[in-house]
Amino acid sequence: MAFEDAGEGRVTAARHALGWLLVANAVGVWLSALLLWPGLGRLAGEAGYGRWVPVHLNLQLYGWTSLPLLCWLFGIYQTGQSKWAGPAVWGWSGALIIGSMFWLSGKTTGKIFLDWSGGSLWSLIVAQIVLWLVLASAWIKKRHAWSKAKRFATGLGLLMLAAVPLMLVIATSPTTYPPIDKTTGGPTGASLLGSTLSVIALLLILPSSLGLVRKSPSWKWLWWVFGAEFVAFMVLEARGGSHFTLPQIVGLGLLLPWMGWISREWRNFEWPERSVFWKRSMLVWWGVLVIAGWLEFLPGLLDRMKFTNGLVAHAHLAMAGFTSSFGLLLLTLLGGDKVATALSRGGRLWNAAVGLHVLVLMICGWLEGGSFSWIEGQPPWREVAFVIRLLCGLVMLAIAVLWWRGSLLKSDES
Amino acid sequence: MNRKWSSGIAVTLAVAGVYAYFLLFAQFAFLELLQAKLSGQGLKGVLAMMALGGVVSGFVVSRSGKVGRTAFILAMVGCVVVAWCSSLTDSTILFSILSLVMGCSLGTATVCLASLIGGNLEPKFGCLWVGLGTGLAYGLCNIPLIFTAPPALQASISAALATVAAVGGARLQDSQGRTPGAKSIPWRAILVFGALVWMDSAAFYVIQHAPELKDGTWGEERLWRNAAVHFSTAILAGFWLSKGGWKSLCATAWALLALAGWWVNEPATREWAGWIYPAGVSLYSTALVAWPGLLAERVGIEGRSTASRAAWLFGIAGWVGSANGIGMVESLQRVPGGFLMAAGVAVLVGTAFTLPNWRVLVILGAIGATGWIGLSEKQIEPDRIARGRQVYGSEGCIHCHSQYVRPGSRDEEIWGPVRSPEEVLKGQPVLIGNRRQGPDLSNVGARRSEAWLRQHFIDPRSLVPDSRMPSYAHLFEPGGKGDDLIHYLRQSGIGQIPMIIAKASSWSPNAVAAGSNGSALFSTHCAMCHGEEGLGNGRLAGNFQRPPANLVAGPFAWTPAGDELGLRIARVIKFGLPGTDMPGHETLEDSEVLALRDHLLQLRR
Repeated sequence: MAFEDAGEGRVTAARHALGWLLVANAVGVWLSALLLWPGLGRLAGEAGYGRWVPVHLNLQLYGWTSLPLLCWLFGIYQTGQSKWAGPAVWGWSGALIIGSMFWLSGKTTGKIFLDWSGGSLWSLIVAQIVLWLVLASAWIKKRHAWSKAKRFATGLGLLMLAAVPLMLVIATSPTTYPPIDKTTGGPTGASLLGSTLSVIALLLILPSSLGLVRKSPSWKWLWWVFGAEFVAFMVLEARGGSHFTLPQIVGLGLLLPWMGWISREWRNFEWPERSVFWKRSMLVWWGVLVIAGWLEFLPGLLDRMKFTNGLVAHAHLAMAGFTSSFGLLLLTLLGGDKVATALSRGGRLWNAAVGLHVLVLMICGWLEGGSFSWIEGQPPWREVAFVIRLLCGLVMLAIAVLWWRGSLLKSDES
Repeated sequence: MNRKWSSGIAVTLAVAGVYAYFLLFAQFAFLELLQAKLSGQGLKGVLAMMALGGVVSGFVVSRSGKVGRTAFILAMVGCVVVAWCSSLTDSTILFSILSLVMGCSLGTATVCLASLIGGNLEPKFGCLWVGLGTGLAYGLCNIPLIFTAPPALQASISAALATVAAVGGARLQDSQGRTPGAKSIPWRAILVFGALVWMDSAAFYVIQHAPELKDGTWGEERLWRNAAVHFSTAILAGFWLSKGGWKSLCATAWALLALAGWWVNEPATREWAGWIYPAGVSLYSTALVAWPGLLAERVGIEGRSTASRAAWLFGIAGWVGSANGIGMVESLQRVPGGFLMAAGVAVLVGTAFTLPNWRVLVILGAIGATGWIGLSEKQIEPDRIARGRQVYGSEGCIHCHSQYVRPGSRDEEIWGPVRSPEEVLKGQPVLIGNRRQGPDLSNVGARRSEAWLRQHFIDPRSLVPDSRMPSYAHLFEPGGKGDDLIHYLRQSGIGQIPMIIAKASSWSPNAVAAGSNGSALFSTHCAMCHGEEGLGNGRLAGNFQRPPANLVAGPFAWTPAGDELGLRIARVIKFGLPGTDMPGHETLEDSEVLALRDHLLQLRR
């Protein structure tokens, strides 16, 4: 893959991703401010805290996190010459704008991260169909130039992507809900294992899908382990259980070795110099996330942290730490020179702000779990934590502005 | 005086004169004179003549090759004549002619002035002079004596202003050579400024015609403030533009105007809207005046390109944008949020991105249409509980409140009883939640009365002083859905009252009283209803059907004297009296409950 030949679709996806990061971070800062000074809410009229939260969450997930993946898909399917790839990204962003209007006007499914209903759901589906057509068109044009394996894998990928709109309709329906750990009302260890395995699959295929040069033979046995863990996930999911059930704890613990395996597997490839910082950052955040996720599932710890800022910390560890650095890695590799240059600045500060943010909320969550008295009072430790959170949010917002502006400096289409 | 200064002063006079004439006479005095004599379709027809003259004359003069000082002075003379004659006639036909002449004069003057600015000044300092001229125009029009003067006097002042503009224009030099420059249509500027003018005109019209909004933003006592804000912001805009960055300035102007448009709808924030609205207007107005001659890519500044740009910009963004904005809000009493967002999208597209190609427009059109259809759908649940549940979802209560009492945890003690997972998972959608900023609400209907919930929704901190919950007073305005929400919360928990009473009856505190803070705790948690002295006369006492108990003299219907009085009082403090307005204080530590109990025992006679 020629990294320098970004193509309109990839550059547009990168710019939009960074734009949505900026908007979602700005909303996050607004939410942090509302927690400190609830009276500020009157400035937003009827759009109170509860209506802004889905805007923050969904723009982070469907804007900031998803668009780098779109960028990756454009890279895999080689849509560089497509005149519709860029417009497909615009369509995606259009759906996000429609979604934001829905959430702010109180139209919601009530399902976190699956908050697409009525017109917003259909607009996202239209955007997905347009995107699928762009990829399918590229596959039809390019497939003869690809190896048999790539042709098969990308064809299979298209079939799977075709099912996404239907899955979205099912998943967003108020009538569906995943299995829960009955002791906490949260996800089971098995479902956490399953969702994380899908992330591991992405991490495993990333270097080769990008066409990075292999320095040493791959560890093919990793895929066997992956398959075995997937079977374990299905068995554990079928059996059910809670965080007091040993198989669930052990099952989630199966993720721990992947910290090292992914890192080791990636070392088999030659990574472009510009991607090194975000690759390392991602691996660190990935490791911290896996360890923290397993620890927080243990009996006693989960009981104390559930429903507290401790789990908000974990969510930020996942989104602002791991997922963001993964997205940034993809953008440095796929978003073109200007984007890569823009992302070469501010990385350390970003990581520091995320780290402090997560740490402070984790401590806050631990203290919250010890007593409920904070609900009707404002203990100083909680105030301090919220102030630090706001400041970290401002830093992340400033860096997002820097990155977005940098990505727009000059046209990079080729 | 060197040429830079003399040209700058001349531009300032010309800009101030033309702009102030437009604001004071074309937008106000002429309209009032018209309204005194005409109404309905006649009025609209006369105003349409002005817009028509403005648009057409701009294009005609820009293509005629006559753009320059002479045309500008003649146009100003036309403005003077219209101002003098407007108070002398009652005839619709004559008004139409005057309106047409004024439109033609202003259309010609603005296009010529743009060319003269571009030909006489460099961007770096030119923007400063334009900012000064724009600021003077706005500042002057907001001086109370002028703003509140009778229309005939305002007409005379306007004639004088047009004369000043002509004097300024006469000191400017015609551009040398008239080589035709690039005449491409400035779509980006039209999009950005058109959106701003459109939004500003709509907001201005709504505010101007809604007495409540007008008094709160630019009532007569606020005119000096408005003048100062307009003047200083225009100067700032000139400085900003001289450093480049008209796009960021326009984006900022949109943000200020949108915020003002939002805030002006609410009494609590209307005053603030009055501060930032004039700032937003002055920012973009300065850029609008400066753009054709100083800010656009300076290709062929001497020739027709500047005039052509000005004709397109002022014709489409100015005249059409303004008329369109007013026409779309004629019957509204509030600034519509959709206008603000639509203008924001236009400004964003115009400032941040290269203009989208047709493919983008096709896709965005399809997605926008799909979404728009769904946005206007209203799902009204027939059942009251279902409607309340819908409000719970709409307002995002799930992001701060769980509805899941974890078995075997402290949840059970303070928010129980536990409900079976099967029952919880029956909900559509399931409202377990994942984060608590406030208490679990599974059984809140058993723990809090209707009156308490209503008061808490309207003003949370009146009952819980340190609450982070925002006010939902708007849900209780006429036609609001607050009562449905309360009904849902009450019905979902009311059946649990016997279990909560049973739980409370078996509870005993597991601590000792925490020092002597009972009085402070009483002040924080009880005094708003029971009064600081415990006499049942707190500031919220009148909000409940039964007045709060007099904790000094009684009667003590729920805690009569007898065995274990202290324990019984502690239980009431902790769990309240389910089925009455007395709430529990479930999150207090046992030591605090005991301290409060001791204070209550001291109060009792």
